[in-house]
Amino acid sequence: MNALKNWGGWIVLTLAVAALVHIGSVWAVPRVIMARAMSRLGTVNEIHHGKRPDATARGVVRPSPDLLYSVCPFDLSPAPLHVRASVPRDTYWSVSAFDAATNNFYVRNDSQIRRAVDFYMVGPGTDLTRVPKDARIVKSPSNKGLVLFRTLVDEEDREDDIDADRRKATCAAAPG
Amino acid sequence: MKLAAKLTISLLAGAVLGLGLTWATVFRGTLGTSSDIRNGPWRTDLSIGSKASGAYMRASVAVHGLLALNRSETLYFTALTDSAGNAFDPACTYRVSGNDPRARWWSITAYAADDYLIPNPAGIYSVSKNSVRHDAAGHFSATVSRSAAPVNWIPVDDGGFSLTIRFYNPDPSVVADPAHADLPTIEKVHC
Repeated sequence: MNALKNWGGWIVLTLAVAALVHIGSVWAVPRVIMARAMSRLGTVNEIHHGKRPDATARGVVRPSPDLLYSVCPFDLSPAPLHVRASVPRDTYWSVSAFDAATNNFYVRNDSQIRRAVDFYMVGPGTDLTRVPKDARIVKSPSNKGLVLFRTLVDEEDREDDIDADRRKATCAAAPG
Repeated sequence: MKLAAKLTISLLAGAVLGLGLTWATVFRGTLGTSSDIRNGPWRTDLSIGSKASGAYMRASVAVHGLLALNRSETLYFTALTDSAGNAFDPACTYRVSGNDPRARWWSITAYAADDYLIPNPAGIYSVSKNSVRHDAAGHFSATVSRSAAPVNWIPVDDGGFSLTIRFYNPDPSVVADPAHADLPTIEKVHC
């Protein structure tokens, strides 16, 4: 406690606390925001199809008004997540996945996947016995995160058809 | 002053200072504006969405551009100023002009200071590869303004705003050298 008997000691202590709080909060910000986004976007291990973003959209910041978003928040601790979707023709489409710290660890688009996507996502604690033999596996760095489908509305009069097609995508916990 | 009181003041001051620094480095600005890669008024960061991004960029993207894709899929350039370096003034009209961005698909979107789309009666939020109208030479010119423009209009309101260009599946040359990619200029027309 001798160091706290003069002003210099108190200043050093204050700056040390400031550094710890700063480093901790910068580390925590993406994780807290991701957890909040996951709870806001819907039930885990189910797909949710958002309406086309407009000025009322508050799900995620800086949405593209030209895309239709479908999202699947996941928790891989009980079981792998089975993701299936058919790839639309003649428009941009992608499936991406983000871990609990917001890192984009997986993305494929319609020019890389010709007809359909079908994979099982597994995390550090996933029961791998629930992944069928020969199934395609995508590894997530964390058990929690989300899968996001983006589909471009390339022509306004095609929006209804594109919307109907993207609603055929599914994601669900693999059965035991 | 008693030791306990001094300790409390020191801890509180440290916490306020630490959180203030986080606000200044993470919450202030918008997507990509803390980046060192500049191209005229546009800024980007190649580590957006990547695990290689540092703690500050990851936190900033979470605040201002959650669920942004990595650079192989999409590049995001954001502008808070015109090409002369002056901050956007919502009372002014701006012309965004140039060649089509080199990407499979692109768009230019205006966002309010809260990072959401800007309300407008026309329900228009962007100009994109699919909606843009070109001049005879193949160039485009978009108008960013409160009042309606006949073509390529990107509406804003009375609040502050920023512009973001999305390059979906960018040309490899853009990813290799984003600081010298051919991006539109932003010119103040009148106020």
